[in-house]
Parts: sequence; structure tokens; C-alpha cells
Amino acid sequence: MAKIIHYRSKCIGCGVCFEMYPDQWRMSKKDGKATLVNAILKKDVFVLPVTNYIQQLTQELTRACPVKIIKVL
Amino acid sequence: MKKPTIELLSPAGSFEALQAAINGGADAVYFGVEQLNMRAKSINSFMLEDIQQIAAICKANEVRTYLTLNTIMYDHDMQLLHAILKEVKKYAIDAVIASDFAVIEACNQLNIPLHISTQANISNLETVQFFARFSDVVVLARELTLKQVAHICNEIERRNIKGISGELMKVEVFVHGALCMAISGKCYLSLHAQNASANRGACTQNCRRPYTVTDTETNEKLLVDNEYIMSPKDLCMIDKLSEVVNSGVSVLKIEGRGKGPDYVYTVTQCYREALQALENSSYTAGKIEDWMKRLATVYNRGFWNGYYLGHQLGEWTAHPGSSATEKKIYVGKGSKYYPKIKVGEFAIESGSVKEGDTLMITGAAVGMAREKMVTLTVNGAQKAIAVKGDKITFPFGTKITQGDKLYKIVETANG
Ligand code: SF4
Repeated sequence: MAKIIHYRSKCIGCGVCFEMYPDQWRMSKKDGKATLVNAILKKDVFVLPVTNYIQQLTQELTRACPVKIIKVL
Repeated sequence: MKKPTIELLSPAGSFEALQAAINGGADAVYFGVEQLNMRAKSINSFMLEDIQQIAAICKANEVRTYLTLNTIMYDHDMQLLHAILKEVKKYAIDAVIASDFAVIEACNQLNIPLHISTQANISNLETVQFFARFSDVVVLARELTLKQVAHICNEIERRNIKGISGELMKVEVFVHGALCMAISGKCYLSLHAQNASANRGACTQNCRRPYTVTDTETNEKLLVDNEYIMSPKDLCMIDKLSEVVNSGVSVLKIEGRGKGPDYVYTVTQCYREALQALENSSYTAGKIEDWMKRLATVYNRGFWNGYYLGHQLGEWTAHPGSSATEKKIYVGKGSKYYPKIKVGEFAIESGSVKEGDTLMITGAAVGMAREKMVTLTVNGAQKAIAVKGDKITFPFGTKITQGDKLYKIVETANG
């Protein structure tokens, strides 16, 4: 299954992911970083299994993130 | 006019650079934590938990600490902002450097001394007067001429413009380091090209790349005399330091929170010496030449006096990356130090070192130290050269710590 990976610790909290996909991303009020909704923490990175369709959509986001910390597999 | 004591303010982007700034003779350091500073993208940015240690190190060395919180702030940043300010209060950080009004307001409410960042590009006296209600120091826009700077400083005194603490407003200016091609804090190049906002600390430095200009109708490449059409040389005012000081400023700032301890140490030390020379009237052409030479050994894109002398725009760098006359090559890690005989032990992890090499050691405790290696012992026996895998010992005057990084210094083609 396809996955979205978020290297959250490097997030600069610019909010682009949330602007583009507000259903999938939240801006944490606690530390100002983005949170990938429902993702599971695995060794420092957040991983979310997604459908191929969502994976396609997220491609755009991997390019949009200014620090390139969103990946799809 | 009585001569104010000038404060030398150095960047600290890591514990190594912090120690290097202290050793180089900085009066104060500035640093950022988490993602709310203009170097958010840099890999080893400090974390919230580091504030305590930074404060302790600086207090022990009688160095003032300023925390930069100078990105644009969004609503989702407020909690983190307050968490940071709580630590600032708790560990008595001397001031916050800000430009966003949310930070200014929060600092005022918490009685935290405030400096207005160059991101606010303050370019006139009225703006200084405006910010005097909230702050004690303004960092002027890097695009002003020295004449304009002097006018602002004189008028602050004449009009008796006092900051929030009741003292006369102080003016801070950049004297050394990278310049923006745009008015600081107003550049969207990186945002347009890579969606990476420079104003959230994610500048991708598009201005630093070479470009060709093509006439799309004829497909012909236009001749430009320099491909680096937007990359300004670095600011260096050590040769005009008396003018800078005479303009009436109180703080001299060195740019470079993204730079290493070798850079911070060398630049801080040169400016410290120059300030001392000004004080005891020994600021001579010969010394200036020597400082310029030393400054050229660390990262730079070539030097000019920036906009201070009212030059036209157009001192563009001619090279990709640095024009430094020296470069450092990583060779290994520190494992031990024998203080009685002043000998350091290192493991060579890449390349080689030989007798006579100039070595540089960096680490959180030493900052940066460099010495020529006179004798070399490799795996217990005296030898002229050591390679990867070897354990070496050599006399080194400064105490090193396990994990310190060892570099050898070589001259570059720019030298
Ligand atoms: S786009 Fe990237 S840096 Fe920006 S908030 Fe989302 S994950 Fe963080």
C-alpha cells in the first residue's frame, strides 16, 4: 500500500500542506508544526498508509513543502 | 559627544559557534531556537531545551544573549512563541530580536527587553521613534548609507528619543557577512521559485546561482559580464570601521548563524582587534590589510562595503560559493586529551594528515582552535604521515574533548 511520510521534526510550520489539503493536515497549536492526521509515529517519522489516488494527489505536496520533508512511497 | 562603548554582537548557530564567538571576544551573541527564526532551515538549529545551557555558558563568560524570533508569525505559532518567551524569562535571556508585532506585543507584556530586527528594515528616524515605544535597540536596514545612519544616531540624541526602558535608543548595524539582493525581509524570490518562504527562514538562495538570459524570440543567449547577476558580495566594514563607529552606532553585528565556528571565531576576533585598535589609536593600514587577509580565509563571496558608502548596486560575486582563501577538510574525531603533556589523541576517519599541516579542531567546548602540527605519532610510533584508520597523537595547546572534529586547513585556488 502507498504511504505518506512526514519528517515532522524538521517542519518549519509554514502551513502550505494545511492550505493545500486541510482534510489531511493540521497545524498544531502546541508546537506550530504540521501534523499528518492519523499518521503513526515510527522511529522519528510519521507514516500514513493511503490509497493510490491519495498518493497521486500528495505528489504535488512533496514538491510544495519548502523544506521537502513530505515523501510518498 | 561622549564616545559610547561599542558592543560586538556575534552569531551563534551551534554550541561550537557559540564558544567560538566567546573565544573570539564577542560582547554578546544572538541565536534562534526551533523554527521561528530566519535560519529555520539550517539543520542544527537550537531547541527550546538548549536555552538553559546557552544562558549558563554566556553568563559564565559575561556575554549577553539575544534570542531571534524574527520570522513572520502565524496564528498557529502563538503557543510555541509563548513557550519560547517563557524560557527567555526563566533563564534571563537579555533581549529578544523581533519584527512581527505579535512578538513585540508579547515581549512588552512580559517585560522582556526588545530589539527590532533588520527584518523590519528601519530606514528613517520617525520609524525609530515609533519603535522606541516598544524597544531599546533598533537594527537599521542594511541598505542605508553611513550618512543616513549618522543622521539617525545624531537625531536620536538631539531629540532625546528614549526607548521603553527609559534609556536613549540604541542603533545596531551589520558590519560583516552576507547581504540580500533585496531589501532585507522583502524578498520573495525563493518563495516564487521554490515555494520556500525566506521570511519563514527557508530561503533557498536563488540569488546565489548563475543565470543565463535568453531572448526567447531568437533563442539567443544575451551576453552578461557575470552570470551571478543577483548575488551580492559580502559586506565587510573592517577597513571603514572608524567611520562606522563615528556615525554613533552602539552595536556592531556580524551576520552568520548558518556559519561554522571557524568563521565565527575569525570574524569576531578580527573585529574585536579592530575595535581595540580604534580605542588605543592604533588602527593602521597595515593592520587593516592583515585583518582583510584573515577574513578572506573563511567563507566569503568576496568583500565590498555594502550600501554604506552609497555605491551603486552592482558589486556582484564572480564565483559559485565561497571565495575563501582556505578550506577545511574533515579528517577525524577526537578521542582523548592528556592535559599534563598537552597532547591530543584522534582517530583518522578520512584522508590523511602529515607533519607540518595546519590543523583545526572544532567542538562545543573548544569552539574553534587551530595550530600547526609539529610532531606526529601514529599508532604509537613517530611517523611523518597518518591515513584513514590510524590513531594519532600530537601536541596541541588547547584542551580537546572526545568527539571534537579534526580538520586540516589547505589553501584554495583563491589564496
Ligand atoms: S509544508 Fe512542510 S514545512 Fe510547511 S508546514 Fe507542511 S510539512 Fe511543515
